Amino acid sequence: MTAALSHLDLLEAESIHIFREAAAQFRKPVLLYSIGKDSTVLLHLARKAFYPAKPPFPLLHIDTTWKPRDMIAFRDRAVRELGLELIVHVNEQGRALGMNPIDFPPSVYTDVMKTQALRQALDKGGFDAAFGGARRDEEASRAKERIFSFRSEGHRWDPRRQRPEMWRLLNGRLGPGETARVFPLSNWTEKDVWRYVVRERLDVVQLYFAAERPTLVRNGSLLVRDDERMALRPGESIEMKRVRFRTLGCWPLTAAVESDAADLDSAVAETLAARVSERQGRLIDHDEAGAMERKKQEGYF
Amino acid sequence: MTTLALARTRDAERIGAEALQARLDASAQAARTPANLATSLHVLTCGSVDDGKSTLIGRLLWDTEGLHADQRARLERSPRTAAGTPDFSLLVDGLAAEREQGITIDIAWRYLDAGPRRLVIIDSPGHEQYTRNMATGATHADVAILLVDARSGVKEQTRRHAAILDLMGVRRVVLAVNKMDLVDWSQVRFAEIGGEFERLAARFGFEDALAIPVSAVLGDNIARRSAETPWYEGPSLLEHLGGIPSGSLRSFGDFRFPVQFVVRAGQDFRGLAGTVAAGGIGVGNEIIEPVSGQSARIKRIATMGRDLPHASDGQAVVLELDADLDISRGAVLTKVGQEPTVTRNLDVRLVWLADEAFAAERGYLLRTGTDLVPIAGMGVRAHLDLATLEERAASNCAANDIALARIELGRSAAIDRFADHPATGSFMLVDPISGASVAGGVVAATRASKSKTANSHGAFRLTRDLLARGLGADLPPTDRRADAELRRRANEVAILLRAAGVSVELEDAWGRAGLDAATIWLWLMAVLSFGFIGAVLLGLV
Repeated sequence: MTAALSHLDLLEAESIHIFREAAAQFRKPVLLYSIGKDSTVLLHLARKAFYPAKPPFPLLHIDTTWKPRDMIAFRDRAVRELGLELIVHVNEQGRALGMNPIDFPPSVYTDVMKTQALRQALDKGGFDAAFGGARRDEEASRAKERIFSFRSEGHRWDPRRQRPEMWRLLNGRLGPGETARVFPLSNWTEKDVWRYVVRERLDVVQLYFAAERPTLVRNGSLLVRDDERMALRPGESIEMKRVRFRTLGCWPLTAAVESDAADLDSAVAETLAARVSERQGRLIDHDEAGAMERKKQEGYF
Repeated sequence: MTTLALARTRDAERIGAEALQARLDASAQAARTPANLATSLHVLTCGSVDDGKSTLIGRLLWDTEGLHADQRARLERSPRTAAGTPDFSLLVDGLAAEREQGITIDIAWRYLDAGPRRLVIIDSPGHEQYTRNMATGATHADVAILLVDARSGVKEQTRRHAAILDLMGVRRVVLAVNKMDLVDWSQVRFAEIGGEFERLAARFGFEDALAIPVSAVLGDNIARRSAETPWYEGPSLLEHLGGIPSGSLRSFGDFRFPVQFVVRAGQDFRGLAGTVAAGGIGVGNEIIEPVSGQSARIKRIATMGRDLPHASDGQAVVLELDADLDISRGAVLTKVGQEPTVTRNLDVRLVWLADEAFAAERGYLLRTGTDLVPIAGMGVRAHLDLATLEERAASNCAANDIALARIELGRSAAIDRFADHPATGSFMLVDPISGASVAGGVVAATRASKSKTANSHGAFRLTRDLLARGLGADLPPTDRRADAELRRRANEVAILLRAAGVSVELEDAWGRAGLDAATIWLWLMAVLSFGFIGAVLLGLV
């Protein structure tokens, strides 16, 4: 018998198993691709799961129109190089309303440009299952999330309809009106994701690595101004600083950290030694207590 | 006597002492590998809030690399316990709103790094509905921590917990005797509880059972050995968890490969995707699909990046065979001479999970590794009393019941006894209409198929009554059009099932001719009723 599989090998095998179970049971799945490190690992695992064929589903990116330009460029290059189908969806009503994360409360903006946009895109495509990169270690309310998470009509998460999961058995039989979210990275931690990025030598967005970037401080958060849409308020100024991101998102809502870690190995080393959880960088989570909990019930991923 | 460690007799007998030792050595070797996390261990925590379970888990997070600085700082700022320590239970007891949501089965997963090892803590709540929660959690566990309060010792509930662990195949147990500080670190009290635990462990034949005196609040014997217990010579809880081998000792030996689907790529490639559930396979080895008896040799073991000469337990691969066998999702590949039973008749032990009670006419589906098998008949014959471990005759089954049942499948399937192969001897029951997972269980025995006229030729029989209750539950009971709709649906179901390789027969006039016979019958009825209406209109009646 061969040597025991390592911790990362087992996580990889489990994720591949989950991808395959979902693809075999759901009629029309889609992979939610949000460009960050978790999505990068998710996509890599999807390719492994169906090799030598290509993943039998398209990628879906919910574009809020406020992602850093580097992310969009990375997305387009990744999809082109891998020869995969990408669906980009923007909530056009939200765009017409001029919805943005600067003038509107983050919770309202997120609801319109992310949660509602996601529902629209899933309905439009007729998708009955969506793969996402959420992990149980991210946040307290995620600790109880299932691998196959079911949504009733209207994409609502009903705690009473969540199914117990035993052994490796994944039951994907949908009830009337139900759709599913599938989380192949459920049992990964942030450290596992980075270790895997290093092990597999995966290409990630350069924003994870330190570089001189135009920053400003607003409400105590260090922001990188990606374009001119964010007007400076009295007393604010743009300062070039060496910064990087631990988590990526809409740039007016995602705080950077000062760092000298300019390549993968040093950025990962810094992350593994980090004393602060990654969600500190996500401003929407601080919006109000129980924010994630409520967003989830409303259909946020 | 301060500790007890029972000999790992059961498995040593089954797999041979040498193989066992080699496996243990390999695991121990891997655990010592520096630099990254070599292995992971899944730990189930069992006990009630009163025993200090949340505090124990919080303390484990606190004492290892399970927390970030901001989480630590938040806890430091929170109100302290009477002992003056941070209230570790706050790290575990999630949002208040979440508790009020009433998730039917709620298991919380937590991840912490203890030295070279990832510990996955599976926390199932200890309230009165704990049976189904704990049973669900136990299916993911390598080891269980049974938590007791030193003041109250081994209780009725501890015995029930041990029984559930035994049922779901958890073979390693740690008894954490908590709140030792409240009994003045009494060696006598600990020995008393340890003795009771020893009897309990012997009754279930646990392979590895150790009692440890701890104080979760103060941290004694959790991450570090305590100065308060000089009479205790065993390891701290984390030390002990660090030394337990990962995975099930029983999951190697015979080869099992449940096929997830067929991968096709380009003109030539046709492979079978799956995760090796037990044993190992190498290029050139002969495999067999036991239901059809087809066999072939392994031509290639493919993964992205590189082909493998060999694949074993836990690896997700694609197997390419040297012959084009008619195999699809649900098949279980094995080696010649290692075949599982091919049967339709199972004796099972199951835990009922759903709020809706068992209803024989529901027509449940049996979800195995990758197969979904229609159940032709199912009967509950007894309940297992967790306190006495005695069987009580019963025919019904509701949430939290542990039942012994007989299942007759609608077609033959390759199924193992759970004791031999946990991965291919466990199952869930699925409600065919709502899709819900209503029960989970293990195969206790497989029986030779009985010849029954109803399905002696291997067809799954859909009765009108069954279809009306399930598939047609939303239709009015005495409506001709509803009847037609029910027929249409029944035929859809039959078509789908046949397409999936399940032979199906519909009751009576709904028989094998299917739609044709049904349509003719429908037309006859229509003609007759129109004739009747016509007669009424003409005033002939």
